[in-house]
Amino acid sequence: MKNRGQNVFIATFLGPPLLLYAVFVLLPAVNAFRYSLTRWDGLGPATWVGLANFRAIVASGSEFLPAIGHNLFLTFVPGVGILSLALFFAYSIHQRIRGGRLYRVAFFFPNVISGVAVALLWVLIYSTSDVGLLNGLLKLMGHKQPIPFTESGRLLWAIVPMSIWSATGFFMVLFLAAMENIPETYYEAAKLDGASSAVQFRTITLPLMWDVLTTGIVFLVVGGLKFFDAIYVMENGRPSGSTHTMSTLMYSKVFQEYNVGYGTAISVMLFLLVLAATAASLRLMRRERLEY
Amino acid sequence: MRLCRGVPLGLAAAAALLLAGCTLRPDDPRAGVTVEAAVFEGGFGIEWHKSVARRYERSHPGVLVDLWGDPRVDEKLKPRVLRRDPPDVASASLPVWKLIVAGKLYPLDEALDSPSYGNPSKTWRQTLVPGVLGDFRYKGKTYAVPSALGAWVCWYDKRQFRKYGWSVPATWSQFTALCDKMKADGVAPLAFQGKYPGYAWSTLLSIYQRLVPFERWYAMQDLRPGAFLDPDFIRASRMMQELAVRHFQPGAMAMTHTESQMEWANGRAAMVFCGLWLKNEMKEAIPDGFEMACFPVPMVEGGKGDPRALYGGGAENFYVFADAKRPREASDFLKYLLSMESSHSYVQRLDTLSPVAGSTDGLTISPALQSAVDVLRGSSRIFQDRIGSLYLEFNSSVLQDAQADLLAGRCTPAAFAKRLEAGAEAARRNPDVYKPAPMGVPALQ
Repeated sequence: MKNRGQNVFIATFLGPPLLLYAVFVLLPAVNAFRYSLTRWDGLGPATWVGLANFRAIVASGSEFLPAIGHNLFLTFVPGVGILSLALFFAYSIHQRIRGGRLYRVAFFFPNVISGVAVALLWVLIYSTSDVGLLNGLLKLMGHKQPIPFTESGRLLWAIVPMSIWSATGFFMVLFLAAMENIPETYYEAAKLDGASSAVQFRTITLPLMWDVLTTGIVFLVVGGLKFFDAIYVMENGRPSGSTHTMSTLMYSKVFQEYNVGYGTAISVMLFLLVLAATAASLRLMRRERLEY
Repeated sequence: MRLCRGVPLGLAAAAALLLAGCTLRPDDPRAGVTVEAAVFEGGFGIEWHKSVARRYERSHPGVLVDLWGDPRVDEKLKPRVLRRDPPDVASASLPVWKLIVAGKLYPLDEALDSPSYGNPSKTWRQTLVPGVLGDFRYKGKTYAVPSALGAWVCWYDKRQFRKYGWSVPATWSQFTALCDKMKADGVAPLAFQGKYPGYAWSTLLSIYQRLVPFERWYAMQDLRPGAFLDPDFIRASRMMQELAVRHFQPGAMAMTHTESQMEWANGRAAMVFCGLWLKNEMKEAIPDGFEMACFPVPMVEGGKGDPRALYGGGAENFYVFADAKRPREASDFLKYLLSMESSHSYVQRLDTLSPVAGSTDGLTISPALQSAVDVLRGSSRIFQDRIGSLYLEFNSSVLQDAQADLLAGRCTPAAFAKRLEAGAEAARRNPDVYKPAPMGVPALQ
């Protein structure tokens, strides 16, 4: 009787959220697979086309392949900077440098700003008009013509420092928490053996925080493959072939060209790629787990 | 225990209230008729539309016009159109042709052929500028009406021209010589809305029109095979590229429309190609003493096109949805929106032109608008692109990218033309793309 009452109690709490999740997440996701096999403009009746949308996606000259390239660029180029800086800052703060608490807050601060707000802020920084901070500085340094950093041909490179600025703090806090969990005794023993800071980092810190580093890399890869907001904002809702990522291309196909079947096929590809990339990251980073 | 018993009672009461609320529809006869109108809040804002809605309500007791606007109204409407719950009437960047072909729009002909407001001896159709209803006709019916009459012109500040001794150019070589002179005087010749490369399309099509007879110009509109490879189109593209590379304000390709137009209003760029919405869009930024005026795209020496034709026509289109709850009332509201009385207030409040014939007659209008009226009166005919509204994928995936590359100097004019021809070929082959019968050159009206 008691168990049955408990089950009812649990079902009462779990039921509504599970129902909402099924209706608003699972069902549309399953439907997306169905739509991806149709030719549909979202207005009239859909026509079954089998895998034609997927064949068009991978055909030569398709916009999807360059979009994957842009996603990979936005994953790995800022990713290297983010991981290196986050590890460096976390390790420095962990070493009790002066002002560590202040740095922790200062570096984390950009992470509390929404992605859209960050992009709008950097649009102003890069602006070629009077408000542009960067072009203003360049002018003071004697550069006569403003540089159109956010012009389509340059935009991906312009996003790199923005991504590093906005994401480093989050990873720094993640890594710092992992470092602070490592018992101090290991470092004391290493110091007695005469190990330098670099050796301590390589032989103690890195192996003992490997799981967290792996999680961080998975976050970066998934975030890079889903990249949308900065491109959408900095391109004023109209990304071009030189800036489209998979997500912006999907949006453009569905909501600007009303090519719903093709657009949802892109979203299915995105799902499969994120799944594969996550599995690959976990596999590549797999090591023997160290218990302490 | 008492609390437990109270909870179901409370839930039941809340459910009863909710259900009661659901039965009170806003357009219930007891509450009068409600017409929902969604309007793009762009260069013209929506204050004028709201004022017309209030006047309509006063003259039609029992009718409420729920008019709202948003700069991204199209994004709000798309899901509503998909779930068959659209507003009654809208003006937004939706794919009008797709909506028409899918049977999602309501034909306006019954309203167009009914007596107009203010002049019952004429039908609504007869009160409009000839030709403005031709853009969205399908199977003999009209599915959209423009609320603005547009023209693509080059705007400048007369005061600045006087200060530097510059003259309004009549020919292309005078225009480029003027640009050189402006640069020598330390002023960027042209502001450009580079984040929206589509702004160059109207200028490029105007240059092309100056070079070729209308038969060739409209061949491109009809997506005739090889039309984009016309050597004169490549020449027009080269002229456009030279303008961009040599005379656009430095940094223009990274500027939004407002940023670049601000540069023009502040006098750092001398001219800007734009439609008639420019003044209203920049009214807060245009400084005192600014003498806004415009001239048409100059004729090209040796060109075979009509030198007095003007790129323009109906703009800011309104349409009624087939799934609207009140399509007839919505059509009637549109008729009122485009009555002579409303168009007078449109011209005076928004400083722009209305598609209602004679709407500026007897009105005192601003010098800037008078300048546009003079350009229109001096034109032999108007012509307008329909590639952008008909071929969405071509427009979004091919044209915008190719133009950005052409303007930034990343591709040659010949490669640009090839890309457009390839895009046009893809549209021709795509069975899902609606292609109207070739229209050729429309008759002069």
